Amino acid sequence: MLGLLLGGPALAGDTEKARNIVTEVCSACHGMDGNSVIPNFPKLAGRHPEYLVRELKEFVSGTRTSAIMTPIAAKLDPDDFKALGEYFGAQKPTSGQVLDQKAAAIGMKLYQDGDEERGVPSCAGCHSSDGAGSKRFPRLAGQHREYLIEQMYNFRNDVRNYGAARLMREVAKRLSEDEIKAVAEYLTGL
Amino acid sequence: MLPAQERTPASADSGGQAWNELKGEKLQALGLKGDVARGEEAFKICQGCHRRGATGSNSGMYPRLAGQHATVLIEQITDIRSGNRRNPTMEPFAEEHVLTTQEIADIAAYLQALPIPPNLGKGPGTALARGKELYARDCASCHGDKGQGNAGKFFPLVAGQHFKYLVREARFIRDGSRGNANPDMARVIKSYGDDDIEAVADYISRLAPP
Repeated sequence: MLGLLLGGPALAGDTEKARNIVTEVCSACHGMDGNSVIPNFPKLAGRHPEYLVRELKEFVSGTRTSAIMTPIAAKLDPDDFKALGEYFGAQKPTSGQVLDQKAAAIGMKLYQDGDEERGVPSCAGCHSSDGAGSKRFPRLAGQHREYLIEQMYNFRNDVRNYGAARLMREVAKRLSEDEIKAVAEYLTGL
Repeated sequence: MLPAQERTPASADSGGQAWNELKGEKLQALGLKGDVARGEEAFKICQGCHRRGATGSNSGMYPRLAGQHATVLIEQITDIRSGNRRNPTMEPFAEEHVLTTQEIADIAAYLQALPIPPNLGKGPGTALARGKELYARDCASCHGDKGQGNAGKFFPLVAGQHFKYLVREARFIRDGSRGNANPDMARVIKSYGDDDIEAVADYISRLAPP
């Protein structure tokens, strides 16, 4: 709580507490090191702590909904969010394996350059060229293709439409299904 | 040209609003102090299209924004967001859920301070004398003899802008599809053919920005 108030890094006690929460609550799906091995559960390792805190708060407030995460986030103590964010942010992210090189090449072009004629922005503008993201935009590099594709449809279908996520609705609508798959394929391998 | 105070307040193009009426969010954003560092962070939302360093693109799809007057940027962003300027490509990325009013002021401060990149898109260079003549006759009184614009009057810096972007927007303004066109400018270029627009845009694209 003190770390939260001061806005500085979590205290050692908070880190230990976060590790215990991860062990008991998060690790079954997201992995102890935040590198989930289950395609539908996102990898959290290496994400910016502030981004993770924001998403947890959104699950609690209901502005982001998930049949799985909504009840779990509701049971967590919001005072622990910061330490949890820092715990996962400090984990080393892993890359996935590209299975379709041709799709990944198409995805790379879209990710890095967008498509001007159709008003598709480059993804790199917000998520950065290496896919590392920032405090405002999530890390995408190495993420499971299945999870990425699911989220793109959540944006497109207005399931996930709070705040800046609303701009993703527009991006998802301007991409074809094959293009969404291609970008996800590229990102999995980053 | 009619003096400014006598111009028609509601032209067909302006959707019933006076050109650049200073009210609502526009007025609010103009009154805020923009922060360059915060603006750089918020501009990430924009750089997927306008590119790092706000260079825009030679294709004319996206204008260069680096070095543009902050007042002009605030005017245009708030107009696009309110629908006063019709820009369906950008509007979803500028809506209130994505950018706060303060961030608009921050982005404007950041962009105004950015260095203007050289070697942006130019035209074919085949009618520069005609372009120069038209510019001096019709454009310079507002946009300045060097294309520098006028921050206080919301006239954009046009020198060194991408040729194809200038052509596209001039056509929109002439044809009444931009939405927030200055009615004085719409009137001045009403009689322009596409070749006139291209000649003057080519000339402007080659003016060295200040």
